[in-house]
Amino acid sequence: MMHSSRLTRRSVIKGGLGLALATTALTTLGLPMPAKAAGKKVIIGAFADGGLTPFKEKIIPLAKEQGFDIQFLEDEYGVTLEKWFADAQSGAGQYDLYLLDDPWVPQFGAANVLEDLGAGGIDGSDKDWIGSMIDMGYWPPQKGPRVKGFENAKPTLICVPFVGDLQTLTYRNDVFTGGAPKTWDEVIAKGKEGVAAGKIKYPVVFRGVSGNPIVTSWYPVFLSFGGSFFDDKWNPIFNSAEGKASAEFFVGTMKQNAPSGVVEFDSDQEGAAILGGDAGAIIQYSGNALKADDPAQTKVAGKLDFGVVPKQQSAIAQMGIFIAGVPKSAPNKANSIEFLKWYVSAETQAKLSEAGSIPVKRSAFGIAKPGNRLIPVALQQLDAGALPRPRTPDWAKVEELLGIELNKALQAGSGGGAALDTAAKQVKDYLTTAGYY
Amino acid sequence: MRNGMQASKYRLQGAGLDLALPYLMLAPGLTIVLGVLVYPLWDGLRASTKAYRYGSPVADVGLQNYVRLWSDAQFLNSLWVTVRFVALSVSIEAVLGFALALFCLHEFRGIRLLRTVLIIPMVITPVVVAIVFRLIYASDAGMLTALSAAMGGGAVQILGDPLKAFIGLVALDVWEWTPLMFLILLAGLQSLPHEPFEAARVDGAGAWRVFVDLTFPMMRPVLAIAIVLRTIDAFGTFDQVFVLTRGGPGEATRLISIYGYDTAFKFQQTGYAAALFVTIGLVVLALAFSAIRLLRRIDAS
Repeated sequence: MMHSSRLTRRSVIKGGLGLALATTALTTLGLPMPAKAAGKKVIIGAFADGGLTPFKEKIIPLAKEQGFDIQFLEDEYGVTLEKWFADAQSGAGQYDLYLLDDPWVPQFGAANVLEDLGAGGIDGSDKDWIGSMIDMGYWPPQKGPRVKGFENAKPTLICVPFVGDLQTLTYRNDVFTGGAPKTWDEVIAKGKEGVAAGKIKYPVVFRGVSGNPIVTSWYPVFLSFGGSFFDDKWNPIFNSAEGKASAEFFVGTMKQNAPSGVVEFDSDQEGAAILGGDAGAIIQYSGNALKADDPAQTKVAGKLDFGVVPKQQSAIAQMGIFIAGVPKSAPNKANSIEFLKWYVSAETQAKLSEAGSIPVKRSAFGIAKPGNRLIPVALQQLDAGALPRPRTPDWAKVEELLGIELNKALQAGSGGGAALDTAAKQVKDYLTTAGYY
Repeated sequence: MRNGMQASKYRLQGAGLDLALPYLMLAPGLTIVLGVLVYPLWDGLRASTKAYRYGSPVADVGLQNYVRLWSDAQFLNSLWVTVRFVALSVSIEAVLGFALALFCLHEFRGIRLLRTVLIIPMVITPVVVAIVFRLIYASDAGMLTALSAAMGGGAVQILGDPLKAFIGLVALDVWEWTPLMFLILLAGLQSLPHEPFEAARVDGAGAWRVFVDLTFPMMRPVLAIAIVLRTIDAFGTFDQVFVLTRGGPGEATRLISIYGYDTAFKFQQTGYAAALFVTIGLVVLALAFSAIRLLRRIDAS
């Protein structure tokens, strides 16, 4: 009797285990079931960018009407590449769709972590696509040099263009009264007149922070000076005479005519400079350009116009489209592919254009009332010339090496050519280690 | 007979449980330590001997990653920046922390409030501190530029200049972590015996003499511990730099943690990054052991 009623270690352990099991069972059974999904669930990962505002505000509600339950998860640009790549590679399945920056496609393609969208029923050969945009969705690329290991691989459509963003010129129409400046010399000369007249504080503004920001700002200048980045064997040739001239112009003339702190400027600061009425001209993507007519977001509403980028030899811009890929680990793969089919249809692209975003289908540029003045200018720029960055999985590292050297030269205000020589050697060494040659 | 067998069975079960219980009690903790400490460490060591391509291991390279580090100009630069950063910020924090601790040792009206206020920076999230300092330093709309403009000056350039950005980063670290030094050293000062100080006062020793001959020698072990702790911590500084400068301008503030992060996650050189972190781990370990030996020598003397 005494024995059975005594509190022993055994009874404590047994009781504890029993209690734990019972609690687990009760909790599991008692948990409220998740509310029934409002439709076909699609979890979209995106980096925060004004270029996606029309999609968020106008297209997501339309998608809901089509029966899609969109979860839109945004992150800061600087962390998304590593976060999504880790998600895709580990098969964590946190996302159904990534809205990638287009230079990231080769890295995801080489790692073979994205679905074949062509096999999923998306037609990459549709003539309505903007050719240069759909080309960026293939890995390995259909045109141009290929990295080792992928020379003979069949190009697969692993991503589809989502927002057709590319660089264009935004300028002050009260400073450049004769319309968009045609050359860089005109940007500087007329800009100086605007400064002298007290209309603006600086002729130009750009991003000077190391890495992606400074390379993105320098690239259209480089292209307009006639530079090429790699030859067809992946040898860096950006330190050609044309490349060096562009770098000297960028770190010298452009810096002298930009805000004094431009070395530390990223997109927030350059956006504030143009929208706040301080700068005369800027080469930029659509994120800030879309705010140009909104008095709540700019002090100079009505004074900002758009044009193709200025030229030295040619007026070529850098493409920087949002491009969608479905990870192999996506929990709602079928839904995401179905969503993409709906999204890239000519009808939805027309709605996107009406909403004010740059579409990825040519027919959508021709609608009666595009939602933003930038859209027809974007088409003009596409026709004038717009190039993607080199299609290599190592672009992030290349951009980092080049960006550091350009940033150092920008600090000094000279030495752009020497910076390119140093960067070219570093890039060559890195690619040699990576087995490119 | 039956009763005897039953009693023996209970004894056996009791003995078995006695033997197993310590292990059962240890098991959850041990599993966690193995899972979150030993396994990642072992996996990191294993990864450091492999070459990665597109995020996956493609070849065993032995110690090649470790050898390559010492000819990598970017690694060497990051290491040098980190050493300078740690040496400068920890030295300033030690001096300031000691001075504040000595000041706050005195009892006067409002001292408790002052002690509380002094430790506030330490409890603020490092990312928030970095954002605030970014708002102070920004040349276009920062607080320093606004102050300068109010006094008729121009834009204040901090983050665009290599030296100023480095000093700005050290200033941030000093602001945030001096309180930790202060707290440790104040506790140390409060635990010192009173008798030697009273004797020195009776002998007519001045404040400086008391500090040089008594306070500082008696505080050396505490000071050494505080410096070791902060040094190890400062080597791992990441979030403040990530938000404030991202390593720039150029490579002026690129600490080893930032370079390692980029190498591992942005450039997918997982094996190389693992070798880098193992090397830095060993460097910090060596520093800690040296400091402990130094501490023992001080104790012995």
